[in-house]
Amino acid sequence: MTLPLIFCLVATVIPVFFSKISSAPTWLGLQALALGWITITHFEEFSLHASLVGLEVLLVRAALVPHLLRRALRKQENARISLMPSNLFAWIIAIMLIILAFKFGDGARADARALTLGVVAATVVIAFLILSTNHEPKAQLVAVLFMENALALFETLMPESWPLTVHLAISTVYILTVCIGCWLVSGENPVCKAPADVVEETK
Amino acid sequence: MSTAIPSPVPEPMAARASGAATTSGTAYGLVALSLIFWLVSVAVFVTHPLNELPVYFAKRYLVLDPTSLLFVLVINTVFLGISVYMLSRERTSSLLARDIRFRATMTVVFMVAMNVGVMANHLILLWALIEITTLCAAPLVARGDSVAPKTTAWRYTLYSAMTLAITFLGFMCLSQSADLRGIDINFRVDQLSSSLTTVKDGWQRLGLAFVLFGLGGKLGLAPLYSWLPETYEGAPTSTSALLAAVQYNIGVVAVFRILQVFHGFEIGFVSQELLVMGYLSLIVAAVQMMAVRNYKRLIAYACVSSSGVIALGLSVGRAAAYGVVLYIVSNAFVKSLLFLSAGRMRAVYGTNEVAPLNGVIRVMPFSGLLFTVGIFALLGFPPFASFLAEMLILSGIVQAGNLMAFTVMCGMLTIIFVSTGRAVFPMLWDAPTRVGPPVVESLVTILPKLGFVCILIMLGTYAPEPVTQLLRAVAASIGGV
Repeated sequence: MTLPLIFCLVATVIPVFFSKISSAPTWLGLQALALGWITITHFEEFSLHASLVGLEVLLVRAALVPHLLRRALRKQENARISLMPSNLFAWIIAIMLIILAFKFGDGARADARALTLGVVAATVVIAFLILSTNHEPKAQLVAVLFMENALALFETLMPESWPLTVHLAISTVYILTVCIGCWLVSGENPVCKAPADVVEETK
Repeated sequence: MSTAIPSPVPEPMAARASGAATTSGTAYGLVALSLIFWLVSVAVFVTHPLNELPVYFAKRYLVLDPTSLLFVLVINTVFLGISVYMLSRERTSSLLARDIRFRATMTVVFMVAMNVGVMANHLILLWALIEITTLCAAPLVARGDSVAPKTTAWRYTLYSAMTLAITFLGFMCLSQSADLRGIDINFRVDQLSSSLTTVKDGWQRLGLAFVLFGLGGKLGLAPLYSWLPETYEGAPTSTSALLAAVQYNIGVVAVFRILQVFHGFEIGFVSQELLVMGYLSLIVAAVQMMAVRNYKRLIAYACVSSSGVIALGLSVGRAAAYGVVLYIVSNAFVKSLLFLSAGRMRAVYGTNEVAPLNGVIRVMPFSGLLFTVGIFALLGFPPFASFLAEMLILSGIVQAGNLMAFTVMCGMLTIIFVSTGRAVFPMLWDAPTRVGPPVVESLVTILPKLGFVCILIMLGTYAPEPVTQLLRAVAASIGGV
């Protein structure tokens, strides 16, 4: 369990320090692959539930959503900017938050559960950091998607896996977030429509 | 003084001129569907006596208990009114006529998610459904006529994601608390309390603080309230009504579920947090309303102040619980009434500013009058339910001996009363700035708003016994007497 967790952490932390927004879909895909690995390890024996959950992670989180995001970011000028502003202050804050997140996880004991909690907490605080340091809506969308991956990872902390209903709801949230988010953050705002409507009612 | 703005003419004439006089099957379909939703919710209410509740279904992931029953009834009644409003608007707005399919589809998906969410018996499922309702509402917000509607919709989505992420952090802390005590946590509403402890526990308290803070943001409680005025002002009025009167209630249900779970655990801490958010919201709303000269934004800030009153009432618990439940129900109808009336005024005058609407009651007698009625209900005048509810909340606060909360609530409500009156009363009764005959409004336009007024008066004067019993059962579930 430790190896995929570290893989997931790396896929979360590296893009914050070194990546452009345009490469975020790749990192999201890598996070999802790690998540899939963790999910498979989490289920001790093969079951329909386990295979459906694994399939959901791979199809939705590792393939579909990164593809949709990549398509939305293509040809976008401001997708070339950094995911988090590259300055020493932001970096120090990020490192401190990751350490704090692992302190939070270590509250239980130094085992896989504590590490998982640390990775979840680190992903959430990193997402908050991106939201607070980058005003670019595309970066904010990536931060929201990071948060939703953290929620999916959080499930592995539960004594029992969530039922398919809850999985379905959370997957729907993830897909809707990327579809609606991409539509809202890319492209121009429509021209104000009020006058046309008003004329119809008053002429 | 007349202005260069052309005088209004009867709506059917304007509609014929614009080519939008016909109503599509989609709008009728939306009304039919909302009627079915409403009839089903009423049938469930009639066929399920309170002593037979709760009823669990869908493998105990959904529950029909007094809380879900009440809110299913409220949201579907409001939805019916909003659908009829959209039907009436489609006849006079070619913009809406062109967009009706998309808006009707998103509204229906939104309502399905709302109904399931209100009945959710699992906090993570409820969390996901709140987010789904937000994601369904965002494209509707982006249909608004603000300067940058997509930006407004994105900010709304982002705020929602942030507040729900804070709530999620709370779930993590609760999970950590249970794990440290060697207990397996289950987020089903009816089972979560068995994972809690009465012993002082930092993780549990932190989790509860995050959950309430996040959900408070979703309700527009300060400090995370700034998305609310911007979204309610920028969205089309039918969407503003959906957000203020329907989606608001799923946030309320989530808070009620937390109160039900934590009943007997950390009650003092919950009260303190709600009290602080309530104070802040009332103060913020009062200060902002002093400066507002935009009637949609005014209603939006009134929503922030209502959230403050609800938080103060919930912080008191026992004695004010019935008042809080009545206030929440009446609030849904007041906000719908105000937004739908504001939508009519916006359609005729083309502005959200108060000044150009002077004498609106003479130009649009029905919408002007109904807006006036809505304002009086908002300000807590008798015979409306909001009057009775505010009195019950204030009396509960006095009984609890929290004179500070009583003073703040009275003081801020007085400021809000004066500010609202100063902004709105000239708009209603001053000499009209337009000349010409009054706007003729069809019965379909007026009908939903009249229905809301009747419900408000009924709840404030003589509510039928089954409704009173339902309200009492919900109040009891959150610790009321």
